[in-house]
Amino acid sequence: MSVNTAHLNQLPVRLRNFFARYPPQTYSSLVASRQAPPEAEASAEKTLPSPYTPDRDAKGAHKPNRDAYSAARALLYSDPKSPNPFLPKKIFSTGKWLGPKFGLRQQADLVKLAAKYNVEALLPPGPKSTEYKSARLAERGLAIKGTGIGQKVKGHKWERTMEARLEDRRKAMVEMPEMIRLWKQRGHGRGWRQWPKR
Amino acid sequence: MAKKSKSRTIAVRLISMAMTGYYRTMIRPRVHRPLSMLKYDPVVKKQVLFLEATKGGKAK
Repeated sequence: MSVNTAHLNQLPVRLRNFFARYPPQTYSSLVASRQAPPEAEASAEKTLPSPYTPDRDAKGAHKPNRDAYSAARALLYSDPKSPNPFLPKKIFSTGKWLGPKFGLRQQADLVKLAAKYNVEALLPPGPKSTEYKSARLAERGLAIKGTGIGQKVKGHKWERTMEARLEDRRKAMVEMPEMIRLWKQRGHGRGWRQWPKR
Repeated sequence: MAKKSKSRTIAVRLISMAMTGYYRTMIRPRVHRPLSMLKYDPVVKKQVLFLEATKGGKAK
């Protein structure tokens, strides 16, 4: 493994202890991403969920498919030989789940500390990592209607019609001198035919 | 019983022809021809033509 650990001695004790217990050569997300199963990549495009489904709360709406490939979840890789301390583990003999060695709060602390010292990549992949968070955000989009790819924010009606109205007004003002000339010519409205409708 | 008589005057709406939605309300005799005049439209900040809007779409 080519993970450079020379500068690790300058890190805070908490990070140093962590890296001593979980050496980046085995556990870091750099290593994990190389070991991640490659077959998942193929179907990434097809199964990517739409960022926002307007009718997701509607009756009979499909629930999100938990088995579908998720690029974000693929980041959370745990080698069975050296289990990721940031992820829960299933014990197959008993069928029970063992919680992660580090809870989410501790993980978040570690990630923030590591990010401060530019060594976040040396931590194991976990749900608090910047990479995971950005991948999940890209997948889900903001939970705001219209912010996904190829979507528009609906906005207020005055916002949606503003362009057309300004265009109408501009045209009307261009034609105004001619209209006034005609109006004067036709006896200041005596011969006028096209009265506007209310 | 006698019919209720119509009033001699009516209130009419003069719409700005600058298509700004701005209008002025005026009172004119019922039998008068429709009103039209040049007036200031504060939306376009100019004097523009105002024409009386017909309620039913018909005008004299």
